[in-house]
Amino acid sequence: MALTLLHRHALEDHILGFETSANPNHLSVARRPVIFSVLAHAGQEQAVGLALKAAPDIAPRFCGPAEWLAVSLTAGSETVAGHLSEISGASVVDQSDGKVLMAISGPSVRQILAKCVGVDLHPQAFAPGHSANMLFGHVAVNLARTGPDAFEIITPRSFAGSVYEDLMEMGREFALTASFSGG
Amino acid sequence: MASLITCPHCGTRPKEEFSVRGAVIARPSASEKDEAWHRYVYVRDNPKGRYQEYWHHAAGCRRWLVVNRDNLTHEVFGVTDAQASREGSR
Amino acid sequence: MSAYRLDAGGLVNRANPLTFTFDGKSYTGFDGDTLASALIANDQMLMGRSFKYHRPRGPVTSGSAEPNALMTIGSGARSEPNVRATVAELYNGLTAVSQNRWPSLAFDLGAVNGLLSPFLGAGFYYKTFMWPAMLWEKLYEPLIRRAAGLGKLTMEADPDRYEKAWAHCDLLVVGSGPAGLMAALSAARAGARVLIADESARFGGSLLSENVVIGGQAASDYAAGLVEELASFPNVTMMPRTTVFGWYDDMVFGAVERVQKHVETPSPDLPVECVWRIVAKRAILASGAEERPLVFGGNDRPGVMTANAARTYLNRYGVAAGSKVAVFTNGGSGYRTAGDLSARGVEVTAIIDARATSTDPAPYGVRVIHGGAVVATRGRNRIDALVAERAGFEEEIACDALAMAGGWSPIVHLMCQRGAKPVWSDAAQAFLAPDVGSGFVAAGSAGCADSIAACLRDGASKAAAFSTELGFAAYAANIPEVEGEYDPDFAPLWYVPGAKDKAFVDFQNDVHVSDLGLAQREGFRHIEHTKRYTTSGMATDQGKLGNVATIGIVAAMRGVSPAEIGTTTFRPFYTPVSMGALAGTSRAEHAAPVRTSPLYGWAKKNGATFVESGLWYRSSWFARDGEKTWRDSVDREVRNVRENAGLCDVSTLGKIEIFGTGAAEFLNRVYSNAFLKLPVGKARYGLMLREDGMVFDDGTTSRLSENHYVMTTTTTYATEVMAHLEFASQTFWPHLDVRFVSSSDQWAQMSLAGPKARIILARIVEDDISDAAMPFLGAKVVTLKGGLKARLFRISFSGELAYELAVPAGYGEAVADAIMQAGREDGICAYGVEALNVLRIEKGFVTHAELEGRTTPDDLGYGKMMAMTKPDFIGKRLSTRFGLTAADRLQLVGLKPVETDKEFMAGAHLLKDGAAATLAGDQGFVSSACYSPTLGHTIGLGLLKSGRERIGEKITVWDGLRGTEVAAEVCLPVFVDPQNTKQHL
Repeated sequence: MALTLLHRHALEDHILGFETSANPNHLSVARRPVIFSVLAHAGQEQAVGLALKAAPDIAPRFCGPAEWLAVSLTAGSETVAGHLSEISGASVVDQSDGKVLMAISGPSVRQILAKCVGVDLHPQAFAPGHSANMLFGHVAVNLARTGPDAFEIITPRSFAGSVYEDLMEMGREFALTASFSGG
Repeated sequence: MASLITCPHCGTRPKEEFSVRGAVIARPSASEKDEAWHRYVYVRDNPKGRYQEYWHHAAGCRRWLVVNRDNLTHEVFGVTDAQASREGSR
Repeated sequence: MSAYRLDAGGLVNRANPLTFTFDGKSYTGFDGDTLASALIANDQMLMGRSFKYHRPRGPVTSGSAEPNALMTIGSGARSEPNVRATVAELYNGLTAVSQNRWPSLAFDLGAVNGLLSPFLGAGFYYKTFMWPAMLWEKLYEPLIRRAAGLGKLTMEADPDRYEKAWAHCDLLVVGSGPAGLMAALSAARAGARVLIADESARFGGSLLSENVVIGGQAASDYAAGLVEELASFPNVTMMPRTTVFGWYDDMVFGAVERVQKHVETPSPDLPVECVWRIVAKRAILASGAEERPLVFGGNDRPGVMTANAARTYLNRYGVAAGSKVAVFTNGGSGYRTAGDLSARGVEVTAIIDARATSTDPAPYGVRVIHGGAVVATRGRNRIDALVAERAGFEEEIACDALAMAGGWSPIVHLMCQRGAKPVWSDAAQAFLAPDVGSGFVAAGSAGCADSIAACLRDGASKAAAFSTELGFAAYAANIPEVEGEYDPDFAPLWYVPGAKDKAFVDFQNDVHVSDLGLAQREGFRHIEHTKRYTTSGMATDQGKLGNVATIGIVAAMRGVSPAEIGTTTFRPFYTPVSMGALAGTSRAEHAAPVRTSPLYGWAKKNGATFVESGLWYRSSWFARDGEKTWRDSVDREVRNVRENAGLCDVSTLGKIEIFGTGAAEFLNRVYSNAFLKLPVGKARYGLMLREDGMVFDDGTTSRLSENHYVMTTTTTYATEVMAHLEFASQTFWPHLDVRFVSSSDQWAQMSLAGPKARIILARIVEDDISDAAMPFLGAKVVTLKGGLKARLFRISFSGELAYELAVPAGYGEAVADAIMQAGREDGICAYGVEALNVLRIEKGFVTHAELEGRTTPDDLGYGKMMAMTKPDFIGKRLSTRFGLTAADRLQLVGLKPVETDKEFMAGAHLLKDGAAATLAGDQGFVSSACYSPTLGHTIGLGLLKSGRERIGEKITVWDGLRGTEVAAEVCLPVFVDPQNTKQHL
């Protein structure tokens, strides 16, 4: 018996059937992002960090002094795994199914996020390219600034529904809309 | 309402991101006397004032930190990575 | 419009009239009014009843310190009690109702308390309701509760939304009067990120109520200009309708923004209130100063208000406090009010100045009584005359309002909330802001500046100093000339002796001068004791008006300086904050985050009933048609697993990926049993201890490759174990090469258990999973038919042939569906955590019901898992201490009822057969119990003194909560397949 296995996104029940056309403030949930945890072994922290930055197709997200999330919205899982395997001194583990990536953008994005996180997101304090783990409501997430008015939130899959609903609630004031993106 | 701790890795964060373990005491080696182990597991000075505590940045970098603070006024004198401060003291 | 609304003037928008009701009667006010100003304009000075004596009361202030004019605003679920009419913005359709009166505000039967007042003095409750104690619950408390409180809460659910948010700035400015505006502007021009908050809807503070000319403009126009300029800066956040209520650690301020409290029907997309946590590098308190009421007989009659309030109603709202206004003053403020009123054509009947002489200018033609005092007032629901006394002669003077000026108190509350006490100044005759360090200072009249010009200068210079400190180029502010200021100086007058009526200190709680005297005489002399004994300062206004007078009067009674008396303790909140605002969105389904398993959808469509387990929603049992109780379902699931097979969601277990050349050694140190020699491809059950020798958590760890392990933890302790490993790695053994990360969410994990598990699993897995290829405790990566990689572990928590299969979470539901499909012909069923629990109790496997913090491995029969030959592991050293090896420790046993139809439950105590239920006779307890469908009767696990020696003994299971006593036999803690043959099939 050959199995045809359907992949299910954690937010399917939250988003499908509720989509509207995107407003200026929009939350775009990546269908199949590739996300790996990258752990640098002792003494290799700096080298691994630099190698990650240099790796093609990969956006590194800072988690802690020896830990990153390697994110790719363009390359496939095996390509990313291949790039990461070339980094010496690192251990990697696929977390693509364990994380949910939501990109939020729009003119009011900072006002929405100010209701969710305690970190100062002024561009002088949290510039584009910056990322960190932080508390989002009651849930630890990774937040990255991808542009002046664009952020990406990576949440654990089991909490994604709660984080999503909270975000949409906080975005009501600014007519935040949401949809899936990617195949 | 809020207190802030400045994590050496993540910057200034609300205290809700952390959990506190208590006094910074070195774990005795396996060969040390019973008294040392008894003190390590059970005895705490609990001073009023300046205190060194282990704080875990649970919602951030997940590093254990040594927070040097006054537990009366919550004035924080310094926050260091626990591993770094341990290695520094060796 | 009405007698008290002037034809012109004020900052209200007369083009926009608003209709509202008070106690059912309809009135009209203007856009820009407060409820209080609109009511005064409509000749409705009576606005409330006092707490204890039900005395008629009107507004004594025009702001947030108001003790009297409290009312309930809104209706139905939106009704909000104890709103201060002096700060409530008027809106069209507002409905307000007075409180603490029956049958009506003008005629209140509760006022009879006033006649009883000789018996209702300070300490009345303490003295009266002392004994007999038995009456307290039945009589006194209900009685007091009925009398207590002013407004009544609605019992309906709040229909509105509340939010919480964070803000960050270089400089927080609290208050938008002359000092605040100038401070904000000065820092904004320097380039700092400025946040300026004011409790009012309109910025300007005293500039909106003082009749001065600044730089050739009216003060309010000048303020508007500053506000306009501030608004043009991108680095400035302006927060009107926002009260900064608290100062917390590390320069975090709490503030509440009333986003939609000024609209009749709030938009559901916006919160009605938002609590802000403001993180500021520096802060300036520009909250101004409060004018003190004077304490004289009858000072609470409606129509008696502070001179500053009268001036505010006049200049800001275009409302005269009365048509014949008298003034009682000890300083310049009273003269200024008289002058402003007079200039607007309002009759000022007299100025009674407590000072023997003064140079303050009285308006032309107004009589000044120097060295005089008001000793009584007349009138029922509004003042109609006062009795002035001078040199022993009394005189009645007609008036319908009395403006009183008792000096100024800087509003320093916020700076005193972290322990610093305000400092008494003899020169200022006031308590001043303490020095709280360099980051937070008071400016303007909060910092004791004594003119508007001084406020402007002070705000600018303090902001400039902060700007420089923060690395901005300080901007030299241009302070214009201020014309027409008055001298706010005053001579202290704490209370007027010889009062003919009660002289109130705390209006809301009806504390008068003689109460304070009583407290001193009865020994409640410390100001904190005086406060609690008399309740002075304990009402919803927290003594904003009365506290300084209380201290001054006590000081005067004792013949000492107020400095010696000191102040009571300042705490947040500055003004009341609604519970809704503090909760924010954390209510109903947003109260706590929900964690859902990747198999949630699978469980749901298979009919699961879910149970909350921490934040998780776990499938508890899967009811089928015809099953009447949960037990029917659980019994069927258990039998089916033992006879056929079942599939259970175990995705909630904690999973930790562990890497490194030091991983084996690390595991060997965190587990009590040996881990160094675990072969690749194998799983091992491990026990983790706390350093005190007690079991911390259990689980399996599998070696997937030489330097890669995956650990599972219990669901409950997943977070704690992760933190524990991080602590051990980072602080105990940082030199070990080990790194780990949680992968709990990456995997959908399911347990397939039962004699038919292998044949079902073989239908979806490509790899050979025969007993030879995949023996008990095997662990490896396999490929599912169709190509998906999965992790397969042959581990059993049921005693049956069992596997745990982990697949990437997104495929979990599809794989679970496929297994159900593959197992249909073999009778597979879904089973939940209830059946899981029964299966493990039948096998005597422990969970946190047994690993409850007081049990050692030996207590649980796992003594062999203490690898004492290892040089070190967490918990080793203290595991051999006295007490942990005692012979009478509680040990894990099995329990079965002697009569098989008898039941017992977890939590019941174990007693020697026939022994009385006493603490001394307590022999242990039932840790887990269930009905065993396999055996057909109740079984249990228990922790029993010297339990292992007592197998076969008959004991009593005593359940004091449920009132049952069951005879039980102690047995080995395993009820099914004691030889463990089934899991090795």
